[in-house]
Amino acid sequence: MTTKQYVCIVCPMSCSIELTDDSGVLTVKGNTCKRGEEYAKNEYTDPKRMITTTVGLRGSRLRCLPVISRKAVPKKLLRDCMKQLYATVVDAPVRQGDVIVANILGTGVDIIAARSITL
Amino acid sequence: MNTLSYDIAVIGGGPAGLAAAVKARELGMDRILLVERDYELGGILQQCIHDGFGLLRFKKQLSGCQYAQKFIDLVAEGGIDVLCDTMVLELTDDRRIYAVSAQEGLLEIRAQAVILAMGCRERTRSQVSIMGSRPAGVLTAGSVQRYINMEGYLPGKKAVILGSGDIGLIMARRMTLEGIEVEGVYEVMSSLGGLRRNKVQCLDDYGISLHLSTTVTKIHGNKRVEAVTVALVGSDGKPVRETERVIPCDLLVLSVGLIPENELSRKAGVQLHPVTRGPVVDDTMMTSIPGVFAAGNVVAVFDLVDYVSRSGEIAAQGAVDFIRRQSARGNMVDTVAGSNVGFVLPQRVNADCGGKEINLYLRVRKPMKDVRAEIVCNGKILKSTRYGVANPPEMIALRFVPDGPLDGPLTVDVR
Amino acid sequence: MTANKQEILAAFSEGLKKFDLDSSAVSARIEDDGILTLEGSTKTWQTAVDIGHMAAKLPGVHNVVSDLTAPGAVPLKRKDSAPYRAMGVVDKADVVIIGGGVTGCAIARQLTQYRVNILLLEKEEDLCEGSSKANNGMVHSGYDSKPASLKARLNVRGNAQYTKWSQQLGFKFNRTGSFVCGFGEEDRAAIEGLYENGVTNGVPGIEIISGNRAREMEPGLSDSVQFALWTPSAGYAEPYEVTLALAENAVDNGARFRLGCEVVDILTKDGRVQGVVTTQGVIPCDCVINAAGLYADEIAEMAGDRFYSIHPRRGALVIFDKENKGKIRTFSGVAPNNYTKGGGPEETPEGTLLWGPSALEVPDKEDRDVDREDMEFILEKGMRLTKGIDPRSVITYFSGNRAATYSEDFVIQNSRKIKGFIHVAGIQSPGFASAPAIAELVESLYLGQNPDTPINTAFNPIRKPEPAFRDCTQEERDRLIAENPAYGRVVCRCETVTEAEILRAVHGKIPARTMDAVKRRTRAGMGRCQSGFCGSRVLELLAREWKIDPSEVTLKGKGSEILVRPSRNTGRNAE
Repeated sequence: MTTKQYVCIVCPMSCSIELTDDSGVLTVKGNTCKRGEEYAKNEYTDPKRMITTTVGLRGSRLRCLPVISRKAVPKKLLRDCMKQLYATVVDAPVRQGDVIVANILGTGVDIIAARSITL
Repeated sequence: MNTLSYDIAVIGGGPAGLAAAVKARELGMDRILLVERDYELGGILQQCIHDGFGLLRFKKQLSGCQYAQKFIDLVAEGGIDVLCDTMVLELTDDRRIYAVSAQEGLLEIRAQAVILAMGCRERTRSQVSIMGSRPAGVLTAGSVQRYINMEGYLPGKKAVILGSGDIGLIMARRMTLEGIEVEGVYEVMSSLGGLRRNKVQCLDDYGISLHLSTTVTKIHGNKRVEAVTVALVGSDGKPVRETERVIPCDLLVLSVGLIPENELSRKAGVQLHPVTRGPVVDDTMMTSIPGVFAAGNVVAVFDLVDYVSRSGEIAAQGAVDFIRRQSARGNMVDTVAGSNVGFVLPQRVNADCGGKEINLYLRVRKPMKDVRAEIVCNGKILKSTRYGVANPPEMIALRFVPDGPLDGPLTVDVR
Repeated sequence: MTANKQEILAAFSEGLKKFDLDSSAVSARIEDDGILTLEGSTKTWQTAVDIGHMAAKLPGVHNVVSDLTAPGAVPLKRKDSAPYRAMGVVDKADVVIIGGGVTGCAIARQLTQYRVNILLLEKEEDLCEGSSKANNGMVHSGYDSKPASLKARLNVRGNAQYTKWSQQLGFKFNRTGSFVCGFGEEDRAAIEGLYENGVTNGVPGIEIISGNRAREMEPGLSDSVQFALWTPSAGYAEPYEVTLALAENAVDNGARFRLGCEVVDILTKDGRVQGVVTTQGVIPCDCVINAAGLYADEIAEMAGDRFYSIHPRRGALVIFDKENKGKIRTFSGVAPNNYTKGGGPEETPEGTLLWGPSALEVPDKEDRDVDREDMEFILEKGMRLTKGIDPRSVITYFSGNRAATYSEDFVIQNSRKIKGFIHVAGIQSPGFASAPAIAELVESLYLGQNPDTPINTAFNPIRKPEPAFRDCTQEERDRLIAENPAYGRVVCRCETVTEAEILRAVHGKIPARTMDAVKRRTRAGMGRCQSGFCGSRVLELLAREWKIDPSEVTLKGKGSEILVRPSRNTGRNAE
C-alpha cells in the first residue's frame, strides 16, 4: 500500500489531499470537490500541466503572442512542448482561440491564441 | 480643448474598469466612456499569460489575457466609447476629468458619475529597505513579466526572487521556462505569501527552493547586479547579521506587494483608508465624494480577478442608481474589522439594505485553521461561515442578505 | 613657511602617538613646499583618514598626499595609455576640461566668453554622474567654512551669484534660507561659533533666533528646537538641472563635449601641457583644467604634479513621496560634529522632500552603497528636526562621494610644475554653492596665463529652458499637444513626463543616451514607482531613437544593460 500527499492545484483553495493505492485501488481523501479527486488520481498515475507561454509575433507592435493549451498535457512532455513553441512564429492579425499548434507532440492537445491581436 | 459629456466615465481599462463599463451598458446606460492610459485595454491582465483566472465567474481556468479578452469583446459589442493612450491628469470634486492624448489634445470630460479603476502599482526596494548599491538588474516582478511576456526580452541570466506572493511564484516558473536560472525564492514572513497551489506548480515542479523567514538585505554591484546578501530574520522581523550570505546573481526580482494607485483620488479629495490605502467606499462602491465610485485594486488589493470584476459591477450598479436617483442614500453603518481581521470592504453599508445582497471582503491578520467568519450586528450574528483554513493571502468573500434594516455597525470576526 | 621640515616631521611623529600603531607602520616625508607625503598601512581606513587630517592641520603643512593603505583601500589606478596613443590624434582644442560635473560645466561656460576652443571630457556616458548628482542641491550661505579659507571666500561669493545664474540659465532656484537648530544649551557654543564664523565670512543677514520665531517661519520645524542660526541667503537648486543648464549654455556658445571619454594620460613637454591621451584617442591642447572630482588626484599624478589626495566621503540621501510637499520648506540642520555639515531635511525646487546626506569615510571612490547606518542617521536626525512626516513615505535613497582633500579646502591654482595645467580639486561641500565663484577664479587663472585671449563678442549668457509639461497650465498643455502630439503621450505617470520631453532629451544639446540621463533631464523614473511603469517605455524610446537593440540600452553606461538578450521566441529576433 502506498500513500501520497498532494496539494491540489485546480483552484485557489489548494486542498491538501491524501491518496492511497491499495493494490491498484485508489482512494482519495481531503479533497473538497470532485475535481480534487480527479487531480490526485492523475497526479499519481500521469501528472499533467497546462501550458502557458508565448510564441513569436510578426506584424504587430507586440513581439509575443500569449498562447495556452486547451487542456493539460503530460508533465513529462512539458519541456519538449515549450521547445517547439519557442521556435514558433505567427503573423498578426490573430483571433483569440485560433489554433497555433494543433495536436502538439501528438498529445491530442491544441495550443491556441490566448488573445486577439488586431494591431 | 475638447469638452466631452458622458453619463459614466470609467478611469482605467483593466478588469475593474472593463467590468464596470460592460455592466453599466447592460443596465441601459447610453453614454459610457472608458479611459485607458496604455494603447490597449486589459491592464495588467495582458501580461498575465499564466492560467488560473476566472474560475469563480467562468468555471474555467483562463489565462489573464483570455479573461481580459472576454470583457474587451463585450466592450466592443456594446459600442462603449473607449479612449486609449489617454492619461487622466486631474479629477475635480465636481466630477470633471482632465485628460490628454496625442490624438485629442487636452480633454475635459464631464460625467454624471465617475468610476475610479486605476489599479495598483508595485512596491519597490525602498519600501522593503534593501541596502547597498543601485545597479541595473533590480526589477519588480511586474516589470520582468512585461519584459518577458510582452516585449520578448530576458532581463537577466541568474535571478533571486524576493517575495513569495503569487506574482513572485508565477515569475519563478516563467523565468525558468525562459532559460533564466532561478536561484531561489526568499520570503521575509514565516509562511508562504501566495497560494499553495502556486508553490506546487511553480516551485516544486521545477525544483526551485523556497526560503522562509529570509530576506535580501543588500545589493552588490555598481553597473549591473553582481550579487545579493540574504539573511534570516529574527522574531523581531529584523535581519540577523550572523546569518548573512552572499549569492552571486545578475537579477533581483522584487515581488513585495502592491499599493493602490490613488494619486488622482487624493488630489480630488477622496477620503482614503489608512490600512487599505484605497478610497473608503460604501456598499455601492461610492467614495466620500458623491457620484465618484471606485472599483478593483484601486480600493484594496484583491487576490482574485473575479472579485475585482465583481466590484466593478457593483460600482456600475451604484453609479447607474446614483444617476437615476434610485438610491436615496439613507443612514449608513460602518463595518468594523473585528477579531483577527485586517480590513473589511466596504467600510460603510446602507442601513436600510433589508432584502439586498451585501458583499463583504476581508483579509485575516494571521493564518488560522478551522475558523468561523461571523458578521455581527448589535450582538446578533447575521451570518456565519466555516472555513478549514484562513490565510492572510487569501481574501474571504462573504455574501449575505440582511432581512431588515441594520441598527448598528457590522463587525466581522474570524475566530 | 613658519616651521622647518624637521619640526614638521617631529610634530607629525608626536601626532601619530595618539593612534594605536606599530612604530614603523606609517612614514612621512616633507617637501620644500610643505607637501607632506604619507606611506605605510593602518588597520582601518578611518585611521588612515584620521592620520591624514591630523597631518594636514600641522603648522607648515600645505597639503597632504596620502598613500596609506588599509583593508579595502583601492590604490591609485593607472591605465596603460599605449593602445590609446596608438589611436592617434582624434580632435584638438585650446582648453581641455576634464570632468563633466557642475564645476567643469561652470568653467566651460565661463570660458566661452572668450574666443577659445573648449573641449570638455567626461569619462561616464553622461554629465553629472559623480559627486554632482548625489548632493542635496544646497546653495550654502557660507557660515561654516573656516574664515580665510578658499571655501569661505568662494562660497559667499558664489551664493550671491545664484539668483543671476538661475535667471540667465533658466533653472529653478529657491532662496529658502536655512536653520542650524539648537535643542538645548549644549548646542549653544557650537551655534554661536558658527554665527561668529558667518559674520567673519560676510554671510548676509545671519542671526540667531528663538525656536518660536524659527517655527513661525517654518511651521514644520520640531517643537523641541530651542533656538536656531538663521541665514536667509541659503537656497536650493536641482544639481543635475544646474549642471545640464551650464553645459547647454556652453554648447550654445561654442564649447564641445565628449562623453564616455576617459583621460588616461597627460602629455607634457619641457614643463608645458601638450595634450591629453583619452580612451577615444589623443587630443592636443595648450591648457588642461583638472575638474575631475574624485579622480582629480589621479589626473594630477598623470601630469606629474600630485600634491593632494582625494579621500572619498560617502553621503547618502533619502527622497520622500511628493505627498509630503510643503511640509517643510527650509533647510534645517544640527550643530556640526564632523568634517561635513551633514545634511538635514529640505524641499527641493521640484517639491520633493529630501533628507541627508550622511557622512562616512570610505576607501573606495566607487563605493556608492547606502547602509542601514546611513538610513538610521538620516531618519533619526530628520525626525528630530521636523514634525508630521511619516518615514514610511520614503521612495528611494542613494549615495555619492564628496571629493575631499586632507586640508579640507578647495585646491584651485595653476600647477607650479606644469605650465598650462590648472588644478580645480577638492571641490566638495560647499562646491555646488561656490560653483559660480570657482568658475570666475579659474577664468582669472586662465587669463593670467593667456592675457591676450580675445573676447567672444557673440557670447549669450541666456539659456531658455524648454517647457516642462508638468509645470504647464491646462491651456499651455493643449497648445503644446497641438504643436507636437508627442506631448499628449504621458510616459512617466508619477512625474507627468511626456514622450515629447523624452525625445527632446535624447536629441538635446547634450544627448541623453542612458536611462539615467533621460531621468536627469526629464524626471521620468524619479517618482514614487521608481520607473516600474515607465522604465520599459523609456527603454523602448531610447532603442528606437538611437537605432539600437533594446538589449543595448543601459541604465548608466556600458555594463549596466537592463536586458540581457531577446527571448528565443520573438519574431524579429529569432536566434
